Amino acid sequence: MTSANRDVFAFWPRHNEAVRRRVESKDAWLDSERNTVREASEDVLDHRMTLNIGPQHPATHGVLRCVVQLDGETIEKCVLDIGYLHRGVEKLAESKTYQEFMPYTDRMDYLAPYANNVAWCMAVEKLANIEVPERAEWIRMIMCELARISSHMLWLGVGLMDAGAVSVFLWTFQGREDLYAIFDEISGARFTVSHSRIGGLATDLSPRSVEMIKDFVTRYEEVVRGWQKLLNRNRIWIERNRNVGTVSADEAVALGLTGPNLRGSGVPYDIRIFEPYLKYDEVDFVIPLRDEGDCLARYHVRVEEMLESLSIIRQCLDRLPEGPIRTDDAKKAYPSKNETYYSMEGMIHTFMYTETGVTPPKGASAYHAIESPKGELGFYLESDGTGHPWRARINAPSFTNLQGLESMMEGHPVADVVVLIGSIDPVMGEADK
Amino acid sequence: MSETLKFHFTPVDSPKGGESNLHAKDSTAVADVIEALREQLPEAVTEVFAYAGEYTAFVRRDHLLEVCRALKEEFGFTYLTDLAGVDRFTDDAPRYEVYYSLVNIEAGRRIRLKVRLEEDDAVLPSVEGLFKAADWNERECYDMLGIRFDGHPDLRRMYMPEDFEYHPLRKEFPLLGIPGSLPLPPQVPEGKLTRDPFAAAHGMQPPKSYREPKSDNGT
Repeated sequence: MTSANRDVFAFWPRHNEAVRRRVESKDAWLDSERNTVREASEDVLDHRMTLNIGPQHPATHGVLRCVVQLDGETIEKCVLDIGYLHRGVEKLAESKTYQEFMPYTDRMDYLAPYANNVAWCMAVEKLANIEVPERAEWIRMIMCELARISSHMLWLGVGLMDAGAVSVFLWTFQGREDLYAIFDEISGARFTVSHSRIGGLATDLSPRSVEMIKDFVTRYEEVVRGWQKLLNRNRIWIERNRNVGTVSADEAVALGLTGPNLRGSGVPYDIRIFEPYLKYDEVDFVIPLRDEGDCLARYHVRVEEMLESLSIIRQCLDRLPEGPIRTDDAKKAYPSKNETYYSMEGMIHTFMYTETGVTPPKGASAYHAIESPKGELGFYLESDGTGHPWRARINAPSFTNLQGLESMMEGHPVADVVVLIGSIDPVMGEADK
Repeated sequence: MSETLKFHFTPVDSPKGGESNLHAKDSTAVADVIEALREQLPEAVTEVFAYAGEYTAFVRRDHLLEVCRALKEEFGFTYLTDLAGVDRFTDDAPRYEVYYSLVNIEAGRRIRLKVRLEEDDAVLPSVEGLFKAADWNERECYDMLGIRFDGHPDLRRMYMPEDFEYHPLRKEFPLLGIPGSLPLPPQVPEGKLTRDPFAAAHGMQPPKSYREPKSDNGT
């Protein structure tokens, strides 16, 4: 390669320089690193080297760039560099109406789009004080739990593939395919659903979709238990995960970990219990907790969460009330399609809602968080009295979890990097906003 | 009369009646904590704002670390869930706001602190020493709004590369970006660096990576 060609690849010279400086100046977490002065060794495997993993690497689950300083095989220091998927959705939100922004939330945590839709809608509903009919709340709950199962299925399949087992990946993707079929039946889209609306939902559940959900819930209880049977005592899986990336409860709180990563360290923080939203205070479920704080504990927490989600969905289906699915206030939510097509007022309201939408009071601000599959997903909104948010801040769980990953990696062999990234379960679309 | 006439889809109400919000949570009703904080540090809290059952304590910048330490060590707010900045962009008051969302996991409470900052003095003491979780959030805040954090161990940009010189979440930053602000790789292997993230939006045609066959009339 000629030198001119090489310059072409150094298109962010100051950025790379800053990352390099950080790796050199970082106060190493390992005590041994701090205290010993190593003499130069002739053995290549003993050498200290700086390795760049990613951003384009299948094991980084997206575009995560890890710059690690290795001592032989051990990671001494780790610096994560994110932002390769930064699209500036917070900036974009400031020029959209509240309803217009919702499809952008699909593309944040794209493994559980429904949970993001609901999180956004609930934040706007809190800001503008909009009532949501009961049936919509129950349906939202069902769909959020399906999204959780879908996300955890992907985590399980991909995590096992990182550890070298391909068959589970195929099984979990079969499960995800069934879930996609359900989302397709309900919202018309397999992946980016955008089905929730401010003040309720876009459409009601069809009888067929209820059947599909029931079928899924009955079949997958056994399937998930089968995966547990395969993995809970699987020697290879346990050896790869036990005592890897151990975080104590205090450390996890200090690092700000959320979701299953926090509960894997024994901290009982789950928004569904902490600040019950929707109807979570009316159903019976337990939060899986583990005290060990290693990758294996996080695995147990997530798989048990899938089973809890199935039980929550079953309870929701039993208690699903009849009634409207969107609030009947044309200033706060879209009118129904019937009203739009067959009445003048309905059509005007639809246009007005698309044009201006809901206008929360000037100076109002609100934060609403839900327990998304990855952890606490919160939106902080500020209103200036118009139809656009003045500030829409996204508190993304993957972002906070990745922050903890940096110190988790230090001290482990480089082979554990993929397992650690998998066990944290980051989604770069969300971490990079 | 006509110049004062403004059209609003719904009448603009003042943000009152926070208690009657349908979605208000018990955890955010922390008036008692703020009261206790005021007793302990009478200078620190200037104002309390409540909306939707959420209490926000406005804290003086000089007292921020004291308040955070008191909340962490005496009131049990050990878990920092969120930290972000807001560009207020108004004439009347300081330009920037940074908020801290702290959680007491055992007691089930959530409190929000806010600090206001002047535009020409947008510097805050870093709380990274108290809450390690603030590290990346403060970096993000610096990247997006240009607010600097004194005492932060590693104040680099979070999302944008260091070669970028603007703070995109400031209100004066155009939505379309600034032409030539971000170097990008060439679009053909032997080409030059692209200096423009939105070339097409600014009327530039990206070079084609292949040669199109000539049409019959030779153009």
